[in-house]
Amino acid sequence: MTATATEVLETVRAEPTERWSPSVQGWVARLLVLGLIFGSVLWATANVPSYWADRISLAAIYAIIGLSLNIVLGYVGQVSLGHHGFVGIAAFVAAYYATQKAGCTVDTCSFNTFMTATVIAALSGAVAAMLLGLIALRIRGLYLALITLAYGFVAERSIFEIPFLTNGGAGMPATRPDGWATDREFAFLCFFFLAGVIFVDWRLLKSKVGRAILSIKHSEAVAATYGINVTAYKVLAFVLSGLFAGIAGSLFAFHETNVVSNNFNFANALLWVLMVVVGGLGNRIGVVIGSAFFALFPFLLLLIGPLEHFLRDTLHREPDYFTIVIGSGLAILTLIQYPGGIGEQVAPITRWLGGKPFSMHPEGHEKHKAPKKQRSGGLLAKVGLHKSQVSTENNTEELAALGRAVEGSKEDDSE
Amino acid sequence: MKTAIVVGITAALLGLILILGAGDDAGPNAAVVIGVMTGSIYGLVAVGLVLVYKGSRVFNFAQGEFGTVAAFIVFILVEQIDTNIPYWAAVPIGLLGAVGLGLLMERVVVRPLMNAPRITLLVATISFALFTIGMEIILFLPEAKVLRPMIAATDATGKPNGPNIFGYFVEPQNLIAFGVLILLAVVLGYFFSKTDLGLAVLATSQDAFATRVVGIGVERMSRFIWGLAALLGGIAGIIYVPISGTLTPGAMTTGVLIPAFAAAVLGGMTSLPGAFLGGIVIGCVQSLSNWAGFNYSLTIGGVVKPLSSIIPGLPDVAIILVLLFILLARPQGLLGSEA
Repeated sequence: MTATATEVLETVRAEPTERWSPSVQGWVARLLVLGLIFGSVLWATANVPSYWADRISLAAIYAIIGLSLNIVLGYVGQVSLGHHGFVGIAAFVAAYYATQKAGCTVDTCSFNTFMTATVIAALSGAVAAMLLGLIALRIRGLYLALITLAYGFVAERSIFEIPFLTNGGAGMPATRPDGWATDREFAFLCFFFLAGVIFVDWRLLKSKVGRAILSIKHSEAVAATYGINVTAYKVLAFVLSGLFAGIAGSLFAFHETNVVSNNFNFANALLWVLMVVVGGLGNRIGVVIGSAFFALFPFLLLLIGPLEHFLRDTLHREPDYFTIVIGSGLAILTLIQYPGGIGEQVAPITRWLGGKPFSMHPEGHEKHKAPKKQRSGGLLAKVGLHKSQVSTENNTEELAALGRAVEGSKEDDSE
Repeated sequence: MKTAIVVGITAALLGLILILGAGDDAGPNAAVVIGVMTGSIYGLVAVGLVLVYKGSRVFNFAQGEFGTVAAFIVFILVEQIDTNIPYWAAVPIGLLGAVGLGLLMERVVVRPLMNAPRITLLVATISFALFTIGMEIILFLPEAKVLRPMIAATDATGKPNGPNIFGYFVEPQNLIAFGVLILLAVVLGYFFSKTDLGLAVLATSQDAFATRVVGIGVERMSRFIWGLAALLGGIAGIIYVPISGTLTPGAMTTGVLIPAFAAAVLGGMTSLPGAFLGGIVIGCVQSLSNWAGFNYSLTIGGVVKPLSSIIPGLPDVAIILVLLFILLARPQGLLGSEA
């Protein structure tokens, strides 16, 4: 023995937890499925009738709007009922720039003009959102929802009625850029922008900024004690949301080719909120699917021949009428029964595509296979954990999950 | 303080009318009369909003739709089925429909989310409102319809039926709105301060758990609140729709809900008298700024332009400015306090 008073023990390294990784065949299968999904979407866009392609580009625009709302609603945890304000302002700015400043005519408009218009529109959306974000610093929760509502109301009743923007009410023309003018080509253009927005959203959420924004949602006080500048990140989240909304607004303007104030009303803003809820708050893939579903819904009804006949000839109702009912019904169902929305329903597939084993449970297949010895009710069962599991030795993950669930259930109502 | 505010606002309105003097149909005093009349409708809807906020701590975006549904039911009875069905028989059925919708909403949406975060419940009320609007579109098509007022605005010879107040012929329907508002203010004020049931409702809104402990059924109170709120919404809808002239799906949500929110917030969101007062103030702000927009002008670059063409939608902007100012400067509103 040495002379030291305390015995120096050999350093024991924690055994590295074995990370499951798919085999080569597994990766090939995943790539094949992924390719099949994207391939069929692109193939469909390239081959369906023109009016379908038109609707698909609208679905992509809705998806961008959904992602924009998702930042405020899903990441920051505030409701924005004024998004038609951002989208509309950006659409009018884009159309105004293209037609009045850059000299696009009804027949031709250069691609560079379109890009410049989109950049300007995105910036104007960001500025519009920043103004709202600055107000949002003082007011939270329900009252902020009211402020966003008021913001949209002012935009709808006042800004969209300014004669030089709306061309005296007749609408501001926005000609699609040369080379991308047909419905099909424009749909692909919208896909490029959607891909860009998804990429930015994804990388940003993985960064320091994203973690900071997410931490604010859970507790502003805790975030502040960790040295996160709550004020700055909140405004940043709004600005980012406005930026995406601006891009969507510009695409919307060129999609419609003539921007009228009627395109952006209160009911639209509400429907956009619902499509994000149905898609799954904070779930990127779910939001994209949900938004596309809301945009395509009337057309999906038409796919079923007998149903179309029933709606049009027996009931004398347009398929469009059913979007609101089905959409809001789904939203109620989502809120009450399936809070994760579409995103949670497709989560096993997206997890599998992301290189994890196929499992219906987020913790992975190991836990899924754990024997269910006793049935226990209450909170533990509610969050998908059983007492037998929690009391096992290696329970840090379960406890963390439980902690998250409990924290989520008593989330403050932010008066 | 609160009494001073009420007295001050009333005096200001009266003073405005007296100082500006009797004028013609388009004068500022007529604008105040119009404002008080529209304001009564906002007040009626705002009272429903306040009631729900007291009971469930949420902004009810479906409050307007209770009114539209009631108006649609009355429309079916008095316009579509038989024009001989008297109005007084149709109104209770319409109100019953509204109350039924309120109870349905309480059961389907509110009760399962009673302990959810308030934002979730808020989105749920939005979903329910949109669902109702969607059903109205499917059942009645989006085209605008006309519902006749309870008492015709002009008699057979074209002479106005209503009284002339400061040079403005007030429609009978507007007088009904104002009368109902005053009546409800008294009845509800008594109900929430003197009766056991009213006090139980207030207790539930303050601390649901403690209320349950002393033996008051929280679910029963919640049902009662939503039923009552739907009744108030229904009354507002049946009165407002003939005044506005058109009945479209979502008529009350697009036309009245946002000014009513402004009124409720102005009154303090928890105060019933505040909601009445807020409604009237918002109505006056709207009609006075509308009047000012046409009667004042600025010279820009040598061209004289009326305010209404410089700022489109001036009355709506004015409402929102009041709302913003209240939220930022006095969040508890004019008469607000806890419960």
